[in-house]
Amino acid sequence: MTDFNTILFVASFLILASVIVARLVDNIGIPTLLLFLGIGIVAHSERLVEFGFATPALTQYIATIALIFIIFAGGLETQWHQVKPILRYGITLATGGVLITALVVALFAWKVLGYSLLEGLLLGSIISSTDAPAVFSILRSKKVSLKGTLKPLLEFESGSNDPTAMFLTLTMVAAVNTGQIAVGGMIVTFVLQMCIGIVVGIVFGRLVVTLVNSIRFSYEGFYPVSVFAAAVGIYASSSLVGGNGILAVYLAGIVIGNSEIVHKKSLLRFFDGLAWLSQITMFLVLGFLVTPKEVFSHAQGGFIVSAVLIFLARPLGVFLSLVPSRFNIREKFFLSWVGIRGAMPIILSTFLMTTQLPQSIEFVRIVFFIVLTSALVQGWSIPYVARLLGVDAPQPQIQRFPLEFETPQGSDTELYDFIVPYNSTATSKPIVELGLPKGTLIVLIIRNEKYIVPSGGTILEPGDTILALVKKAHLEDFRKVITTGEGTEFFPL
Amino acid sequence: MKITDILTEDYVRVHLEGTSKEEIIDAMIDLVAKQPKVLDKERVRKAIFEREKIMSTGVGSGFAIPHGKTDAVSDIVAAFAVTAQPIDYQSLDDQPVRLVFLLVGRDTMVGPHIKLLSRISRLMNNEDFRKQLLEAKTPKEVIDIFKQAEETLTES
Repeated sequence: MTDFNTILFVASFLILASVIVARLVDNIGIPTLLLFLGIGIVAHSERLVEFGFATPALTQYIATIALIFIIFAGGLETQWHQVKPILRYGITLATGGVLITALVVALFAWKVLGYSLLEGLLLGSIISSTDAPAVFSILRSKKVSLKGTLKPLLEFESGSNDPTAMFLTLTMVAAVNTGQIAVGGMIVTFVLQMCIGIVVGIVFGRLVVTLVNSIRFSYEGFYPVSVFAAAVGIYASSSLVGGNGILAVYLAGIVIGNSEIVHKKSLLRFFDGLAWLSQITMFLVLGFLVTPKEVFSHAQGGFIVSAVLIFLARPLGVFLSLVPSRFNIREKFFLSWVGIRGAMPIILSTFLMTTQLPQSIEFVRIVFFIVLTSALVQGWSIPYVARLLGVDAPQPQIQRFPLEFETPQGSDTELYDFIVPYNSTATSKPIVELGLPKGTLIVLIIRNEKYIVPSGGTILEPGDTILALVKKAHLEDFRKVITTGEGTEFFPL
Repeated sequence: MKITDILTEDYVRVHLEGTSKEEIIDAMIDLVAKQPKVLDKERVRKAIFEREKIMSTGVGSGFAIPHGKTDAVSDIVAAFAVTAQPIDYQSLDDQPVRLVFLLVGRDTMVGPHIKLLSRISRLMNNEDFRKQLLEAKTPKEVIDIFKQAEETLTES
């Protein structure tokens, strides 16, 4: 076992490296998950990590904890009013869509690649869900803006389809072990798990809101802490009573995020940071499971399955589950393309590692290869595909400053644009001391093409473009002020 | 938006003749009106002189930026001139003007207009840059100077 301080040092180094490299490659558009995973794989193969810790079971624990926070934070940021109209499509995609995807992959693996049907189903189940962190981070990045309801749909789908994949996988692992599948029992269990998950998520989510709002905590820091503990508790209690934990946590996140809750802003900020930390840790740790050589040892099989998944299984899943919907064909193609695989398949493949299946090593490597290609090919190209299919919307103008101003009836005040003269002497003191004529207001400064909302303490610079409300009668005074800084009136602080 | 996206050689003059502020602005409006984006030259002229009445756009150091917003253009248009002689422009620093940038924006597009104003003002507030422009011999040189300066601007 490596020395404790060394472990801390390496962990800190890897996380910092991830964050810094993420910044460096920001412009290239590599999905962050790929980056973190890559750093994990390299660290592992370079033997930076010898924690004796890359065991599948421990990885599974770490990844599950991380997943709780990622999914919970995703739920917190989900706008219910956006999700509501697409809820039923989201649910069909997250259940039927996932199932169809898994089946298509299974059939292909069985008929073409020569695996047994059960093995095919297992492989199909593992890679059947899309990745919430990857979809969230790509769709919320600066480069993509989508028309209509595509974004909330994709986010909701990716946040809620992991339970289905997990359920299918665990069922298949059991089936491979026992050699048989009881389809009827499977459906009952599935429905039961989801229903319990839904109830626990919504009820406990509401409970958290009520509790947090009614308790006056001694310190502001206790609010995020209590919700943090509650999130873990919701996952655990749902799982303990036979429900789906991930679904419960996601729904609880949505309930809490869309309620009035004390210190909501600091709560959101806390969980945003926590989600990033979880994401980095999770992918790093998952990366520890393999070396590049191992991933590429099954590149051929991985490549074929990946292609089938991207070009056949996912599109079929989307198109079939959205037959009765108002999405047009280009939107469906786009939905098909945003089928990024990420953490879930790898986490699920750790379940494989804990079984004694002869194919498990091979499957794990294939799964890694699929995740890498999917994240790379699809993750990278999403902005371009969106444009190609015409489903991208113009980037929302966040800075919509330059305001229009209608002169109200009976007012002689107007909004004018001015440029502060280059050799003005008004630039030596703050606006409040310039002695602007009464009723004059400098509304906006445009300096180096950036908008600045001025306050009394702001100091003008030569060449600033300014928007100001000035009375017509005061124009001459105003001119004097911005030229010389010597106004006629002076209001001391 | 970049200055050189809207300003081309055809709308640049390096020895613009004229003795008064009105004459120079008129000549530049004639210049800019050659492009089809200018729908109504007279209304453009009115907008420019109205703005000039509110406060002189001679912002100092020999530079003036007559500008205005109107629906008489379909898009932002610009012209630039180095005058043959120093012009009394009633500038805010009372100095004569030799560099004139005319900018006419569409009244519904306040954002781009104001950002361009800011960009031009920022570039022109550089003595070396003004000197280079004063020494330019052809419109092409002027455009090249603008291009070069815009390339070195930090993108924001």
